Amino acid sequence: MSIYKSAVNKPITTFMIFTAAIVMGIYSLIYIPVDLYPEMEPPFISVITSYPGANASDIETNVTRPMEDAFNRVDNLKEITSVSSDNLSVIFLEFEWESDLNEASNDIRDAIDLLYDYLPEEVSRPTIFKFDMSMIPIVFYAITADESYQGLSKILEDRIINPLNRIDGIGSVMLIGTPQRRIYVEADPVRLDAYNLTLEQIGNVIRTENINMPSGNIRMGMMDYQLRIEGEVRESYELENLVVGHFMGSSVYLRDVAQVRDTLRDLSLESRISGRQGVRMMVMKQSGANTVRIASDVKEAIEELQQGLPPDIEIMEIIDTSVFISDSISNLSQTMLWALFFVVLVVLFFLGKWRATFIVVLTIPISLIVSFIYLFITGGSLNVISLASLSIALGMVVDDAIVVLENISRHVERGTSPREAAIYATNEVWLSVIVTTLVIVAVFFPLTLVGGMTGVLFRQLGWIVTITVVTSTVAAISLTPMMSSQLLDLRKKGVPDSRLSHARLINPLLKRMEGFYESSLRVALRNKRKVLVIAIAVFAGSLFILNFVSTDFMPETDESRINAEAELTTGLRVEETIKVARELERIIEERYPEVELYAVSSGSDDEGGMAGLFGQGSSNMIDFVMRLSPIDQRERSVWDIADDLRRQMEQIPEIVEFSVTAGGGGMGDNSVDVEIFGYDFDVTTSLARELRELIEAIPGAEDVQVSRKDERPELQIVLDRNKLAENGLNTAMVSTALRNRVAGMTASLFREEGEEYEIIVRYREDFRNSVSDLEAITITNPMGNKIKLAEIGEVREYWNPPNIERKRRERVVTISAVPSGISLGDLASEINSVVASAEIPQGVMVNVGGAYEDMMESFMDLGLLLLISLILVFLVMASQFESFVMPFVIMFSIPFSFTGVILALFITNTTLSVIAGLGAVLLIGIVVKNGIVLIDYINLMRDRGHTLNEAIAISGRLRLRPVLMTAMTTIMAMLPLALSRGEGSEIWSPMGITLIGGLFFSTVVTLILVPVVYGIFSRRGERDKLQKVRNKFTFLNCDN
Amino acid sequence: MKAVMIIFNQANSERVEFIFDRLKINGFTWWSEVKGRGSETGDPRMGTHTWPELNSAAMTIIPDEKVDELLDCVKKLDEINKEVGVRAFVWNIEKSF
Repeated sequence: MSIYKSAVNKPITTFMIFTAAIVMGIYSLIYIPVDLYPEMEPPFISVITSYPGANASDIETNVTRPMEDAFNRVDNLKEITSVSSDNLSVIFLEFEWESDLNEASNDIRDAIDLLYDYLPEEVSRPTIFKFDMSMIPIVFYAITADESYQGLSKILEDRIINPLNRIDGIGSVMLIGTPQRRIYVEADPVRLDAYNLTLEQIGNVIRTENINMPSGNIRMGMMDYQLRIEGEVRESYELENLVVGHFMGSSVYLRDVAQVRDTLRDLSLESRISGRQGVRMMVMKQSGANTVRIASDVKEAIEELQQGLPPDIEIMEIIDTSVFISDSISNLSQTMLWALFFVVLVVLFFLGKWRATFIVVLTIPISLIVSFIYLFITGGSLNVISLASLSIALGMVVDDAIVVLENISRHVERGTSPREAAIYATNEVWLSVIVTTLVIVAVFFPLTLVGGMTGVLFRQLGWIVTITVVTSTVAAISLTPMMSSQLLDLRKKGVPDSRLSHARLINPLLKRMEGFYESSLRVALRNKRKVLVIAIAVFAGSLFILNFVSTDFMPETDESRINAEAELTTGLRVEETIKVARELERIIEERYPEVELYAVSSGSDDEGGMAGLFGQGSSNMIDFVMRLSPIDQRERSVWDIADDLRRQMEQIPEIVEFSVTAGGGGMGDNSVDVEIFGYDFDVTTSLARELRELIEAIPGAEDVQVSRKDERPELQIVLDRNKLAENGLNTAMVSTALRNRVAGMTASLFREEGEEYEIIVRYREDFRNSVSDLEAITITNPMGNKIKLAEIGEVREYWNPPNIERKRRERVVTISAVPSGISLGDLASEINSVVASAEIPQGVMVNVGGAYEDMMESFMDLGLLLLISLILVFLVMASQFESFVMPFVIMFSIPFSFTGVILALFITNTTLSVIAGLGAVLLIGIVVKNGIVLIDYINLMRDRGHTLNEAIAISGRLRLRPVLMTAMTTIMAMLPLALSRGEGSEIWSPMGITLIGGLFFSTVVTLILVPVVYGIFSRRGERDKLQKVRNKFTFLNCDN
Repeated sequence: MKAVMIIFNQANSERVEFIFDRLKINGFTWWSEVKGRGSETGDPRMGTHTWPELNSAAMTIIPDEKVDELLDCVKKLDEINKEVGVRAFVWNIEKSF
């Protein structure tokens, strides 16, 4: 028994099966996390090794290079880059997308094990560090305070961070720029010398005095007493009263030689929010957790927790990545509703009956909902890609149902009972319905097989469209006949149509259109050659226009935020950096009223940990984040503002280099990198400077940066070993003494309310801020003599060589530039020509890469995809038509769909990005489907005995409606996608534009050119297979 | 006794069955899928891609007086829509057991 027969005979079972699918789909929908993109595990692992005391080039030769060589054997490795700096080697390993990182890190560990014995002795065990999506913050907060600023760190720790950490799905919460309490004991060296004391003595006194110690127990009478000495100071000022020594018979108190300051840690990072003192808080989620839900939980919690904070502490949200996500998703969902509405309109327009329209449209929610089950099972998320896929599928899922329904209603109109019509009419068309679906699947399924980042991104699209379209076909041959048998009814004869009915209003219009089309088709058939020549000319013309369409990697999105970074002269002290930061704050306040909130941090947090490892934080860096008002409330886009900000920053002489990042951070950077490979520092650095100037001159090239930083000024103390020996000192003693006096020695910990604060003993600042102060530092030798630093060595200014960066196991300098106002592809070709014209010294290799390289890779992937799709489509069609010629006739429309794409991109001034390119590939399936509908019917007509041209003309007239209908449903479903202008629309609108342009153009081509080409390729009588067979029958020819 | 063979579009199956029941004709033989074409009018019913529709056939052996009644019903069925198509043919039964 066939599926449609069972469905019609058991309407309740059918209904229940689909209800079950819907229930499961909706259940899944509730549990599917919402995110911006499908989850992508970035395939990066870094290996961090420290080698104390070695300089950058030692590290390079002894640590980085052997390790790189060892890692080169690891499977799936794509690229090795490394940075060797003083004391530290960091190697970044990039793997192929979707390779198993656990296996990779095991391989790396094995490689390290093999190598470790051959590394220098002092080298620490390398740390393997896997980069994780959960390290990317999802919500940023700015916290400002006035009176409570001093205690902010403790207040936040207790009242905000700990409660937040309890929220399910939160990975970690991090504070940046929190003031840390420190107790400084700052000694006056002159007094120390006068009292014959050393700094170390003071430190030791504090260490030995500030302790609590249990000293056993005592039994007295019936009791057992614990014995305890409580020497710890309760208040920091008590330290001042410690006796640190004796001089001339009287006690020397700490206050006599030093000052105790209970204060905040010395400034190395200043963080200000909208001009006020404050700190930044980042909330990270666990990998795979639902960003939108966690962000709203966090927000709710913060709202509540804020009640318990002192009134001067204000918590403001700088960035909430979930806002963009949920806005994009709701925007896209809205787009889908519009698409649904338009599709319903189109179906109603052509069918003219409410019930029929209802039956057809019912397949839409069913097919779409089933895809949620897929997402749920595979652990996918509801994201821009999956929703856009649903949008694309939306216009296509009705096609099958329409074909089935049309045939059923044709039978019903003839007077057959709906029940029987449903069975027998479906029987007539079910096979061709499946074949057209196969064509679509042939295009979308290969998407699930593509590798690389493109593959990770578009796998969902492939699966979702495949699943929805297959579901729609199943629904079309089961649910649609069932519904038709229940809902359609026999028309009573003789009832006149009302004046506003479809039959009197729209039908004549469609009839006229059909007539017009038939007559123009006949004209075209009489002038086949001319039509063909014109078509080829149009196609060639469009290829010419392609030159004016620029290429891009991923469309950039306006996420209402701008990040900027400014680098001042290397080695500048943080106080100076802050002055420039003030200037920038002023500019932001004056020029950009769109900025709702901004956070500026200057300098670097030396306890920043991980952040410090990856960012190049140092005292001369300013970093700021701006939150802008929503898109619809401002006129300037983030790019306009970013451009203006760049012009402003150019005018500040202190700023050496800067970068302004507007737009989405989701898909990584958008830069063209020029990589200069070469061993010689001087040669490559000067080439880099030269190229940088040339690239800066390119209009549209912004944020031009050279990765190799300037040399950093350093004071070196060169000790005279002879003099050291004479004084009974050695290098270690001198360097410890120097460190204690300048950086300070941690003498002890001050405890208060369960928290511990470091007590640091050091020289007072005015005794350690010049070269002569350094030279005047006193070091006491073991014999008790006081020796000035100047006596045993000299202080020299020296330039520390920069970090050594390597890529593919060679030294490299990278010059990166970001396009602004021009496309990535254009910038890359400009830079390519600059590089080609530059004089490249011997032994130096230059390569243009960065996002441009990714773009080229993605386009290659797309090209491959195009090829596979073409082949698969050909296979399906050749077997359907049992012919090698017919697929070619139909595929003739494909180049013209690309013409449509090119024109659409050109007219709307959209760049050809990976998204738009993908749209072009997807077109193949949709376009070919139209051709099949037409050609199949022409064949049918010829088989039924019509002559070639007659068959073409008749089929044209009869098939115009279905062709227009399938094309229109798809176009109308894409229209809201192409026109949407809200958050995130930049991502999907190119796809809509591409599909509409291509589909519109190719529909016209299908209607005129495909029949004409069919005419050219066909011969009279070729379809008459019967005649061919019969020609061999000679038994009746009596004259033999 | 006469034999009546009705050949009709599959889509009319239920109606033909209804006619038999209505006329209290108990015995019949039914072929659910038969192919054929009309001599003058009617599209071929071949169950192929070109001519997708199929016919069914039913043969019944009935007393002479019922034949006209049956043919009358078949004619009414045909008149619903000529395109769908139904034909009946009658011949004599020589012997039976």
